[in-house]
Amino acid sequence: MEKSEELQQFLEQEKQKAMISEMVGKLTNVCWDKCITGTPGSKFSSGETSCLTNCAQRYMDMSIIIMKRFQSMQ
Amino acid sequence: MDPFSSSSSSLSSGASGSSGPSAEAMMDQLKAQLAQAYAEEFLETVRSKCFEKCITKPGTSLSGSESSCISRCVERYIEATGIIGRALFSSPR
Repeated sequence: MEKSEELQQFLEQEKQKAMISEMVGKLTNVCWDKCITGTPGSKFSSGETSCLTNCAQRYMDMSIIIMKRFQSMQ
Repeated sequence: MDPFSSSSSSLSSGASGSSGPSAEAMMDQLKAQLAQAYAEEFLETVRSKCFEKCITKPGTSLSGSESSCISRCVERYIEATGIIGRALFSSPR
């Protein structure tokens, strides 16, 4: 019983990690295409860096808006 | 005892036994498999992104500039992953 609880908690943690990793992976994929338009240099320009940051944060903002929009339709 | 090489047999024998499979061994195995799955997916993404960026016109062999583009691309993609992670989870919004 105690063991299955431990396992349950472990699975929950791994599920969380998987979701985070999927989110980061997905956003990197999308924002890379949006922000890194030239051939990759030996260093990111400050413009590229802030584009990546903004891209990720705006994607989250958008997700929230879309979620709210759908919730209000129910 | 090596938890990986013995895991499949210990799982099947454990299920019929009274004690059941060791939770620890199962967790370790799952962790290792997940880590491998993450790595494979990441690698596949990097391959496709860097191919797109660096091999614009495939020639008869990989040129020096293509190779250096690839190594820069891989480094930048890893860096970009860090930037995105920080943007999502450790900056005030």
